[in-house]
Amino acid sequence: MKVFLAALAFAAVVAVGTAIFLGGIQQQSSSAFSTSGARVGDPGNNLMVPG
Amino acid sequence: MARVKFLCDADRCIECNACVTACKNEHEVPWGINRRRVVTINDGKPGERSVSMACMHCTDAPCAAVCPVSCFYTTADGVVLHSKDLCIGCGYCFYACPFGAPQYPKVGNFGSRGKMDKCTYCAGGPEADNTPAEYAKYGANRLAEGKLPICAEMCSTKSLLAGDGAIIAEIYKERVMKRGYGSGMWGWKTAYSDSPTG
Amino acid sequence: MPGSLSTLKVLCAALALLFVVAHPAAAQLSFKPTAEAVQEDKLLNALKEGDKITGRVSIPDKMSSSLIQPAGRDWRDFQRSTLPIIGGVAIIGMLAVLAIFLMVRGRIRIEGGFSGKTILRFASFERFIHWLTASCFIILALSGLNISFGRMLILPLFGPEAFSTMSGYGKWAHNYLAFPFMFGLVAMFLIWIKDNIPGKLDLQWIKQGGGILANGKHPPAKRFNAGQKGIFWIVIIGGVLMSLSGWYLLFPYIPGDVTTLQIWTVIHAVIAMLFIAAMLAHIYIGSVGMEGAFDAMGTGEVDLNWAKEHHALWVEEEQAKGQAPSGTAPRGVPAE
Repeated sequence: MKVFLAALAFAAVVAVGTAIFLGGIQQQSSSAFSTSGARVGDPGNNLMVPG
Repeated sequence: MARVKFLCDADRCIECNACVTACKNEHEVPWGINRRRVVTINDGKPGERSVSMACMHCTDAPCAAVCPVSCFYTTADGVVLHSKDLCIGCGYCFYACPFGAPQYPKVGNFGSRGKMDKCTYCAGGPEADNTPAEYAKYGANRLAEGKLPICAEMCSTKSLLAGDGAIIAEIYKERVMKRGYGSGMWGWKTAYSDSPTG
Repeated sequence: MPGSLSTLKVLCAALALLFVVAHPAAAQLSFKPTAEAVQEDKLLNALKEGDKITGRVSIPDKMSSSLIQPAGRDWRDFQRSTLPIIGGVAIIGMLAVLAIFLMVRGRIRIEGGFSGKTILRFASFERFIHWLTASCFIILALSGLNISFGRMLILPLFGPEAFSTMSGYGKWAHNYLAFPFMFGLVAMFLIWIKDNIPGKLDLQWIKQGGGILANGKHPPAKRFNAGQKGIFWIVIIGGVLMSLSGWYLLFPYIPGDVTTLQIWTVIHAVIAMLFIAAMLAHIYIGSVGMEGAFDAMGTGEVDLNWAKEHHALWVEEEQAKGQAPSGTAPRGVPAE
């Protein structure tokens, strides 16, 4: 039982850790597709529904 | 009731991107989201043609068919809309869409790409018409004001037509007759399988 | 002189008109710019299977250069028609087979009964890796099946808002539990590959059907019999395919092309259905299907009679190493 619970805990920790890490390297489309030719100020948040 | 469609007359399109700019301005679309875009075929070669493409609001929309949470709906006018409250941002609609209409606010890590956004035919979304809540989620609702999509209204050469499918098909056919040529009703066969020629 | 200038103008106009009228194609435009131009139906007809009409765009997102990709239609048919059949046949078929097997064969008992003595089969780190991978698999499978079939089966029960919320959490779980799953997969490969190399003994075991249908028949096996080796390789190969396809779906801008992504989704979905079916059989035999089997992963200690019946050669190896209790004195040790 202990081993099973340890496995669940480990899975949860890795999953959450991955979520935090990947969330950190996530890019908004507005910055990912900016080019040197396009000077993008604040792209605004219209149409961006969180989640 | 009118069944509305888009028709881009590629023989008139000059790739000015007024349609794109008008859409971006009207709905305050952030950079990186491309509800409408202009694609140029045979660029620089004889027979270069540009086509303005956005959601075609298909009959039997494939996006609606594949959505795992069934967040799409078709209005009485034939406009295909979706609910950003139900959308889980899985991206299935993008795989199914023949026209690449679905757009996502973030790029990497698929799981957190955010809620899908696309051309709404300037018809807003499930929120109440012309409210700030609707504008913040889906952009302007011109259809509720009795107006046509702004991209077609702003087209500098009247190549992009929007409105009752039968009427714009008729307009296009008249043009083809008069000038003697036409590169086709781009996307109609794929989008409107029930009436591919209007 | 004014007179000659206006006359000259008229003369020029007449000449021009004459030229135009006399020109053979004067009745209509002589140059049709679209004669060589792109025609939508010609381009569509020229497309090969899965191909798309693309052009140049000024947008940095290269996926926007696709104008029309008719393969999206085929992908929709796959998701809504083909995949439910594959999934239904594989999963419901497997459940039916297992149910029939249980009814006909019953639970496979330890013939000699429980001996009361045990032998260590799996160390705690092995059990940890197994449960890590297995529990991730369960959530991945359920959340994945929800994406494919939830709309058909679960949405009508919960309504759109609740179902969307649930599916949203399912999507997060699916995307992030994939990583501990992949970790477990690599670990499993490393710790168990040496006992899972196929051999001649496995061929014999298979020829005797593993003894699974008849009482009293126990083809010899080492630590893992052929059936278990089959499961190992299904998990490794299936898991690698799921991980690879899943990776591209997690990071869609790595392929950056909708057609490539469609192929990966098809691989991901089809392998998933087969994988789930195989794991149902594995779960069955390790729990309900065989008395004494669950202990292997539960406590790590299995009953000695069970081990002798199903993994006789492994028991001998363990006893020779002095790792197991045995009914006889250890070999090679003098009486005094």
